Amino acid sequence: MHEPVTGVGTLGELPRASAAFRALALRATRVRRPGFAITPGSQKPYSLEEMGMKREGYLFGALLAVLCAAPLHAQQTATVRGRVVDEATKQPLAGVQVNVAGRGALTQADGRYVITGVPTGSDTVRSRRIGYAPSRLVITVVGSETVVADFSMSAEAVGLAEMIVTGYGQQTAGDITGAVSQITTEDFNPGRITVPIQLIQGKVAGVQVVDNNEPGGGTTIRIRGATSWSASSDPLYVIDGMPVGTGSGGGISAGRDPLNFLNPADIQSVTVLKDASAAAIYGANAANGVVLITTKSGGGGAARGTQVEYSSSYSSSSVTKLADVLNASQFAAAVAKYAASRVSMLGTASTNWQNLITRTSFGHEQNLSVTNSNLGSYYRLSLGYLNQDGILTGTNTERLSLALNYDQRLFSNHLDIKANLKGTRTNDRFTPGDVLGNARGMAPTQPVYDPNNVQGYGTGYWDWNTAGASASNPMASLNWATDHGTTWRSMGNVQAEYTMPFWTALKANVNLGYDAALTNRQTFYPTILAAQVRQGHGSLTLNNNTQVNQLLEAYLNYSAPLGILPGNIDLTGGYSYSQSHSEYSPFNETSLGSDFLGDNGIPTALNVNNSKSVVDYKLISWFGRVNYNINDRYLVAASVRRDGSSRFGTGQQWGVFPSVSLAWRLSQEPVLRDIRSLSDLKLRASWATTGNQAFGDYLQYPTYSFSNGLAQYQFGNQFITTIRPSAVDPNIKWEETGSYNVGLDFGFLSQRFSGAIDWYTKKTTDMIFYVPVAAGTNFSNYVTTNVGSMKNTGIEVSLTARLLDGGRDGLGYTASFTASHNANTLLSINPSRSVAQIPVGGIGGGTGNTIQVLMPGQPINSFFVYKQLFDSISTSPTYRKPLEGQYADLNGDGKVNSSDLRPYHSPWPTLELGHTSSFTYRSFDLSFALRAMTGNYVYNNVAAGATYQALTGGGSPSNMSSAILKTGFVGTAQYQSDYFVEDASFLRMDNISLGYTFRYNGNPLRLYVTVQNAFTITGYSGVDPTAGLNGIDNVTYPRSRTVTGGLSVRF
Amino acid sequence: MNLRTLKAPAVAAALLFLAAAGCTDPTVAPKSTVTSANIWSDANSYQAYMAKMYGALVLTGQRGPDGSPDLAQIDEGTSEFLRLSWYMQELPTDEAVIGWGDPGVPELNKWQWASNNTITVAMYYRVYYLAVLANEFLRQTTAAALASRNNVTPALRTTIQQYRAEARFLRAFAYWAGIDFFGGIPLVTEADPIGGPPPKQVTRDSMYRYIVSELVAAKDSLPAKSASTYGRATPMAAHMLLANLYLNAKVYTGTANDAGALTEAQTVIASAQYSLNTVFRNNFTADNNLSPEFIFALLQDGSRTQTWGGMTFLVHAGCGGNMKASDFGMDYCWGGYRIKQQARRLFGTDPRGSFIYDSAAARVAGDTNTSGVANVKDSVISIGNFAHGAAAPKFTNKTSTGSGGSQLTMIDADFPVFRLAEAYLIYAEAAVRTNTNLATAMGYFNLLRERAYGNTTADLTSTAQMTLDTILAERGRELLFEGKRRTDLVRFGYFAGAGDRLWAWKGNQPGGVTMSANYNLYAIPANELALNPNITQNPGF
Repeated sequence: MHEPVTGVGTLGELPRASAAFRALALRATRVRRPGFAITPGSQKPYSLEEMGMKREGYLFGALLAVLCAAPLHAQQTATVRGRVVDEATKQPLAGVQVNVAGRGALTQADGRYVITGVPTGSDTVRSRRIGYAPSRLVITVVGSETVVADFSMSAEAVGLAEMIVTGYGQQTAGDITGAVSQITTEDFNPGRITVPIQLIQGKVAGVQVVDNNEPGGGTTIRIRGATSWSASSDPLYVIDGMPVGTGSGGGISAGRDPLNFLNPADIQSVTVLKDASAAAIYGANAANGVVLITTKSGGGGAARGTQVEYSSSYSSSSVTKLADVLNASQFAAAVAKYAASRVSMLGTASTNWQNLITRTSFGHEQNLSVTNSNLGSYYRLSLGYLNQDGILTGTNTERLSLALNYDQRLFSNHLDIKANLKGTRTNDRFTPGDVLGNARGMAPTQPVYDPNNVQGYGTGYWDWNTAGASASNPMASLNWATDHGTTWRSMGNVQAEYTMPFWTALKANVNLGYDAALTNRQTFYPTILAAQVRQGHGSLTLNNNTQVNQLLEAYLNYSAPLGILPGNIDLTGGYSYSQSHSEYSPFNETSLGSDFLGDNGIPTALNVNNSKSVVDYKLISWFGRVNYNINDRYLVAASVRRDGSSRFGTGQQWGVFPSVSLAWRLSQEPVLRDIRSLSDLKLRASWATTGNQAFGDYLQYPTYSFSNGLAQYQFGNQFITTIRPSAVDPNIKWEETGSYNVGLDFGFLSQRFSGAIDWYTKKTTDMIFYVPVAAGTNFSNYVTTNVGSMKNTGIEVSLTARLLDGGRDGLGYTASFTASHNANTLLSINPSRSVAQIPVGGIGGGTGNTIQVLMPGQPINSFFVYKQLFDSISTSPTYRKPLEGQYADLNGDGKVNSSDLRPYHSPWPTLELGHTSSFTYRSFDLSFALRAMTGNYVYNNVAAGATYQALTGGGSPSNMSSAILKTGFVGTAQYQSDYFVEDASFLRMDNISLGYTFRYNGNPLRLYVTVQNAFTITGYSGVDPTAGLNGIDNVTYPRSRTVTGGLSVRF
Repeated sequence: MNLRTLKAPAVAAALLFLAAAGCTDPTVAPKSTVTSANIWSDANSYQAYMAKMYGALVLTGQRGPDGSPDLAQIDEGTSEFLRLSWYMQELPTDEAVIGWGDPGVPELNKWQWASNNTITVAMYYRVYYLAVLANEFLRQTTAAALASRNNVTPALRTTIQQYRAEARFLRAFAYWAGIDFFGGIPLVTEADPIGGPPPKQVTRDSMYRYIVSELVAAKDSLPAKSASTYGRATPMAAHMLLANLYLNAKVYTGTANDAGALTEAQTVIASAQYSLNTVFRNNFTADNNLSPEFIFALLQDGSRTQTWGGMTFLVHAGCGGNMKASDFGMDYCWGGYRIKQQARRLFGTDPRGSFIYDSAAARVAGDTNTSGVANVKDSVISIGNFAHGAAAPKFTNKTSTGSGGSQLTMIDADFPVFRLAEAYLIYAEAAVRTNTNLATAMGYFNLLRERAYGNTTADLTSTAQMTLDTILAERGRELLFEGKRRTDLVRFGYFAGAGDRLWAWKGNQPGGVTMSANYNLYAIPANELALNPNITQNPGF
């Protein structure tokens, strides 16, 4: 399709703009000096005359002639312009390199390009884009003319041509030099997904996503292992160009994952920048990788009019496994044997408390979106509603979300304004915190209700009437205590990209954004609950927090063939300013005067604690990047970012974070290019230094804190509030991670089989640790400072194969595999002499017990336990009985004391595997995802607490884990035994989904059913082998199996 | 590249830099907290800082009872000075045993402590916590520093001089615990700034001399006893501390100074500022602040001074089994420590043992057996079982008149560090050791017996009866569970090494075994050896 050539300047576009802009443009034009060429050639939909712009048009034309005509004329050259589209989809293609006569240009987002200064004569225009078959067109150029050369290119290897979102821009997959994985809608995990990041669980090699089983519960993600201990090891999240911070998307929430404000149904793609070179453009925040989330927009280029999409799903979840505790008869037998004097306390009921507090839960989700795309603008408006009950009675999450993405192009597509606006209200209801533990500890021989209400403190439930510590009736808490919160969060940004009208290779970007959250949470335990009567006498906790983040970013991008040297260059440079203001005002009171108002009022109370804190944070950055691409064969990328953060000490405020990465596409070499089956072979190598500043604010300031009203000291009969100096290192600065990555991308048969192998090593130095300091040198025994280093080394493999390409009616089968191995080693926690160990990993039970250690030479959070001794004679046919309190004297000093504790395994898997199979047959689609981990260990805190002493130790006999039947321990709980550190390797079918798509009244309609957590195979004896990231299984929310059925329709 | 390709980015870049020029300073100062830069501009800060120093012996942080700890990497309630000190002074001795498995506790019961024992490590850091606080105060209140601030009135300046003496007293008190538990340790003074190099270790003898010199220099500047100084260090508190130091001088320096101890004890007694509480048990009740006997005490208050250590620990942990928490003015029992049979048998029928749970008097109506379990013996045949060994709730949250404290969980009772009875016992012991003033000494000794029995039936009648062992046994009865026992046994040579005596679970044996002399000291923390190259570990660790 060739459009008529008009020969009129770009001013032809002006009538579309406002009058104000026209005046501005004209004034600007008047001061413009020679040398600024105005490139003719855009189409002219309306004439100036039609728009009443005749006079100005002539004036401008005259100026144009004066300024530009002479040199153009003198050179006797022409302009070649055109538009490149995908042959199949007719969508415009960006980033296509078009060359003619030694000159070249890259196409813009609308697929258009302009090449000036083309000598007259006959010539060939060539277009190339990775993943597409090169194309050529012969033209004849006459002096001073504009020739139109449009291309439509046919895709060869879609995988390579895919646009990958990167920091401050996007790139084709084939051109990427770092280790980057992008997962888009079609590959997301199906089923009931409440926390956005669970969409990619098990999908990306080297990315570990650990959820906590609760609907919407906090989810942790580790990219290539943990790089930090004190600072966060969470990646930086960037949502639609808005960096929102580390740790579940930064921000605050009423208790569940802060990223929940994003409706997963609105997400188009999740890109994980795994290696440091890809992430380094985010500098001081990039050490843990970067997760870029792009939401759906109505775009795509073509005018499609209005489309409405509606999806609805219903789900049912059931408990897969509960903690194994003694049943009523086992419990009664144990009491008879080990607590004879308490037999009279036993009831006669048989109550399974854990069954009572769990349920089959239901949930539903409705999503409605309207998209509209026209030539110059598009939008997508979506409304989502989710209401999901948890399998623990009382747990619920409800989300109402609204999102608008709007894109407007102005001034003949030179100005592209994108606006994103999201607003969400989340209501969370939590199961009161004491319910799970009490369901395990409450005697199974006691009844639920107490009709006489004599012993139950007026709750109507049966409870122990003892002064000593006792388990209490979990049903009483469920029905009397409340714990709920609401999070309001809104995020929005406006991004304006201006393509210089006379020089389309240069773009200016401005991004203005905000992220505001308001949360509240109320937790109320009435005084009549048995546990409260025993100690707290009721408590009310209110948390009202706000956070407002603001962002200003401006950057320039220049993308063009280099000219003097072969290849294309892409330069980006800019400035970023972000600030955050948070206010926290927690309120807590105990010993309530009244239960009457519940959490709706604040009763008088004996102990009242309230406080307020204001936290401000600022990050100012300069960044620059250059990508250099020589014929898609040699690719170079380098970036540098300079960050100034309010979290760093004086003199340490600014950090510089450079990166370099190289890629060599071997498949483009003449020798290999002839191998037609080889579609891609790319060797990558990168080095970068990134930072981590995800630690607390104001750590560098020596502050004084006042004591609260409960920590005063008495002089005579006057109570005096105290002040305490804080122990600080005023020179605190960011953690630094230096990384190397070597990778190989490969693809065969037009990417039908493709994959990547990556090897990396990264070393974190200046690691922030809360470390012991020499006694007498600071105001406490520990200070947060930069000491220590840690190493992560690993290998990742990912493979995707379109094994059967069924076509429209045949059987299609795509399989993908990921495998990753990461080894973490803590190198040092002290610069000069090695501190022996820092105990970490607090557990439930006893006072101040920890089960893990930070120790040089070991993975962080290694378990730190005694070596259990066993019965030498196997008294049972199936197992050797652990000898209570008997441990190996490992250092042989004749004593078994804390010097005999030794590091023993860690919670980190040695191997993580993921597999997804997708089948299509006619209108059916079937997929399933499997995930496995090996070498990860979990401390079974529930089993470790089991001892028959629980029958006599407290005010009442307390139930315990069935592990007691094997151990038979009678004394103090043996928390430090390695017997309770269990191999938690597992294989889990994360989901299996079957769908059927058909047309109803001419509209596509899909019905599907998905089973999540279909099965788990593991040797771990506790509730869940993925019991939290740190490998301590204590009060673990039980895992559920969820069946979801739904439909989606578009019209 | 021609001219135009250069100009456009130049112009754009210039604009960009211009826009950003105003926003290049990332500094943000804290708003919700005060900093070291402005804290002293508030004249109340001096008193508040002083209260922190005293509070650091009782409280664990800035929130009561927990939530903002002073010390890291230890359970906050356990990190309290008195609780740590009590564990270390009582558990390895013939007085107490605790069945808990809390980190570090079993090793103290069983004499298996190492250089990374949670309790002893925390004690070491608690000592330096106090010393560093005091050093900073002394730096911030020099004449020059005060002159540089315009908010110090003459009256305040006078008070600050008292505070400075109190800071020196508290630092000496902390270092006393340091040399008593750990031997030779680093000396950090106001001359050593925050963030400075690791301090040098000094000998036990040098540190002893430093402590003594500090007390001698500061004692007369301490505030005189008055209603407003309860809880603060007065001159007599300094004399009591000196008396304790001199009494143990042989242990700390190799050279005895019993004459010094006698003089100091005499100074306290002669001051006539204190008198014995007529009812012995009223020294350990929720209203023991009324006791005329206390020379220096750690003050707690159920409503205003809350901690999980200190008296909260001592009152709750002494109660267990089927004992009724409400009998002690509490909500519930922790089932912690019991008295060992060796200490139990010191009492015999001495009325001071009336609280011990195998005596009929201590039983509450309806409670048919000792510690709630039938057929219990007073022997600690196992550490973990609360029913083995008698419960001995010496401290209570009930007042002397039997009413409750202000709270059920947090305790009102104060802890006596020095009380007049101890001055009498120090005098008696120093008199015997120096073989002087024996008649006077016996008179003081008998004052305690007479208070205990309410008559003179148990009085010593001849100075020949007043042997060192009699005095040690009397200390066992009078000062049971008051955190002195290990020091006493070491001084008498009975704790470890040649001539040591046996008691339950010494050396992890139910009947006890002889232990080598190196156990007379605890180990310096392993981490400290790594962090401070100037430190040498105690022998045997």
